[in-house]
Amino acid sequence: MVFAKRSTKDLIIGKTPFFAVLAGLTLLPLLGVGGYWLDVLTKVNLFLLVTLAIDLYSGTTYYLNLGVSFTFGFAGYALALLNIYYGIPIEYSIFLAVPISVFFSLVILLPSLRIRGVYFAILSLLIPIVFIGIVTAQPFSLYLGGEGGLRYKQLFLDFARSLPPGIRLTFLQYSYYYISLVAAVIGYLIAYKIGFSEFGFMLRAVGQDEELAESVGINTLKVKVIGYLISSMYVSVAGALYASMRSPVTVDLVVPANTLVPPLTSAIVGGLGTIIGPAIANYMLLLTYESLWGLIGRWRVIVYMLLLITIVVIKPQGLVFRIYLDLKKRLRGVLLE
Amino acid sequence: MSEILKCEEITKRFGGLTALNKVSFNVVKGEIFGIIGPNGSGKTTLLNVITGLLKPDGGRIMLDGTDITKLEPHKRVKLGIARMFQGMRVFPYLPVYLNVELVARAVYNNARLARAKTSWALTMSGLLPEAAELPIKLTPYKLRMLEFARILVSNPKIALLDEPFAGLESSEAESMIDLIKKFNSLGITFIIIEHRLRYLMKIANRVMVLNQGVKIAEGKPEEVVKNPQVIEVYFGGETRK
Amino acid sequence: MDIDIYKYILIFSIFHSSTYLMFSLGFSMLFGVAKIPNLAYGSLYIFSSYVVYSLMTYLGLEQVVAALIAVSAAGLMSLLIGEAVVRPALKMPVSIFITTLAVAYIFEEFFRIEMGLKPITLPLYPGVTYVLGVPVSNHWFLVLVASSLMFSLLVAFLKYTVLGRSIRAVAESWEESRRLGINPLKVLRVAFFVSGIYAGATGVLLTPLKALTPTAGWGPLFTAFAIVALGGVGSVSGTLIASFVYGFLEQTMTYILGGGIASISPLILIILVLVFRPQGIMGRVE
Repeated sequence: MVFAKRSTKDLIIGKTPFFAVLAGLTLLPLLGVGGYWLDVLTKVNLFLLVTLAIDLYSGTTYYLNLGVSFTFGFAGYALALLNIYYGIPIEYSIFLAVPISVFFSLVILLPSLRIRGVYFAILSLLIPIVFIGIVTAQPFSLYLGGEGGLRYKQLFLDFARSLPPGIRLTFLQYSYYYISLVAAVIGYLIAYKIGFSEFGFMLRAVGQDEELAESVGINTLKVKVIGYLISSMYVSVAGALYASMRSPVTVDLVVPANTLVPPLTSAIVGGLGTIIGPAIANYMLLLTYESLWGLIGRWRVIVYMLLLITIVVIKPQGLVFRIYLDLKKRLRGVLLE
Repeated sequence: MSEILKCEEITKRFGGLTALNKVSFNVVKGEIFGIIGPNGSGKTTLLNVITGLLKPDGGRIMLDGTDITKLEPHKRVKLGIARMFQGMRVFPYLPVYLNVELVARAVYNNARLARAKTSWALTMSGLLPEAAELPIKLTPYKLRMLEFARILVSNPKIALLDEPFAGLESSEAESMIDLIKKFNSLGITFIIIEHRLRYLMKIANRVMVLNQGVKIAEGKPEEVVKNPQVIEVYFGGETRK
Repeated sequence: MDIDIYKYILIFSIFHSSTYLMFSLGFSMLFGVAKIPNLAYGSLYIFSSYVVYSLMTYLGLEQVVAALIAVSAAGLMSLLIGEAVVRPALKMPVSIFITTLAVAYIFEEFFRIEMGLKPITLPLYPGVTYVLGVPVSNHWFLVLVASSLMFSLLVAFLKYTVLGRSIRAVAESWEESRRLGINPLKVLRVAFFVSGIYAGATGVLLTPLKALTPTAGWGPLFTAFAIVALGGVGSVSGTLIASFVYGFLEQTMTYILGGGIASISPLILIILVLVFRPQGIMGRVE
């Protein structure tokens, strides 16, 4: 019933999967997961932010924003430029790069927010392409690094150099991992809060019938702009952090295949607008993708894409979310006995 | 007599087609005002202009003394215009109570007041048992009630109903009429567009007849139906079908 | 600038525009029918080119014969893509983006593995003709003729054949066309086939002028995307106009600014146009 409060017991059981996953991710490095897989997990943690961003905005309003990779890469470039041309240390550049990137994403896509459907998708997909063109074209490539990218000292590098050589790399890997994990956890909790708040439902109302939403008193433009703002903030944080942990930053960050397709896939397979589903799918799909490398080597892209098509075609959306609800129901049954 | 809504020479064109041609009318506080006319006569377009979904090419709309011609739709809701759409239009994947509560939250700044108003509106329209359901599970009548609850919750000065009886059985239509009468007596002014005159005759104080975007008659229902021009374009057309 | 530059700009704008027209025709038609953004469109372009290359290299076929086979193969491949990944996702336009994008990556990876990253070229149509004193490869004339032919055929097909007219009917309204006794799915199949033929023919004709790599399909895809968006969805004449706007702008900017930035100037224009006129040049307001 709507107005009924959930019992404490229910609440604890409801949060169990979240705490289990959190504990697992926190303890993994201590259990001996390191090297390559820790790097992968760091990346997956940061991609969770992008997945959530897509789910929060496109998953609720059905405005398919394919310009996500632009924002991701732009934050990376902003970080690098602040460091290289203004000498701002990377630690602080992260905080500056985020608002800059959010601002530019908003200015560039704001006029197109009144365009609906396929056009919005096309327009947003063209923006990263234009950006790549600018970065690699003379004369901008001279300042933006062109194909080779921009080089800078990555996060904590100076400090790591003061450490004994044996643990330098391990230190960097562990610190990056925990930073990404903290960002992912905070990002998830806030996304969950927003997604199921009154504002989250307004976003959904816009997605379900924009004209009706406006007619019943919802300021749809404001809702869309704020939603987009939150979404690009998530992507900018992810992009800035990701870039701060690797040098050089190149156009690879802006290529939709790298930074748009994986999170978008997670959002759709996970169940648009459900927050939980996309979050789970993010870890499942990306880790599957990385494991395929060892199993089938260079054929993994093809196998992954076939897998993806199969999932999307057979169960158009929300597969992961449905499985999650089902498992939770069973778990509750077991625990309440 | 004080006018709650004044429409002055509203004109709306789509490309070369004139959907509304200098339509003027006043709605008096507390009345039930009917708008009739054959299909394509511009009735729904007129509602769209009043609620702000369409911008008129000419004319002025005054709500309770304020010029609202250039206002965005969501601001008009806050000033007291509520609307029921033709065909049932709700948010299909939001539970019933949220369909209503989102409206309340848009109108009132106070969350608690909004929640209280929501339960009141749901009770009034008999939807409390289905509050947690998704609208896709509701019957057409219940969907109409949901739209009615949405109107009530915003505490409007004037409510615009676009064919509120369409798709309802006669007993359901009767209870809809009772509801309209009840809230009319509680102070809500109604504009009702209806294709079927049977119901409108029972409740409307005055009606206006539109044909091809032009107002051809206005007055008490029983007088208007005797107007030869109305008989020609409206009833004549009806019998020819 | 002297008069020669203008001659160059004029002549090559026309030729380049005709290649853009070629790129976009098949895509435009498919996009118009059911608003299907087929992101695998560029894959068909590289697919047919690789087929021609393989047939010529491994089976020693004549280029013309190989090209004909490749174009038909592209048509069938397009049909397959339509049936396998687009039809099941028709109700969710978002899913079509995903599935067709996945197909595009499958093609790219497949050719990367099988053919490597080394650029491949196909032989040009031999000979050079002087136009206003400017030397132009005869292959450009072949492209110009072919693209005019492709454009006229498509217009005639959409206007004068029953199938073409039903494509337009489906574009207008899915429900309405069903009531008229048209099977929208059948029409969709035809549209996919024709669009595949067009993509294949474009690949076969343009690869000799450009290098062929596994990623070569993306350029045509985005150009087609941009041109269709500029011209207006579902409007073939809009596509024609947009191709020429695109071509002339790009060539002019190339001569003024030189390479690099010039190639994206049309894209910037398109974004501006879409912001102020979302439906494109010839598109109708919905």
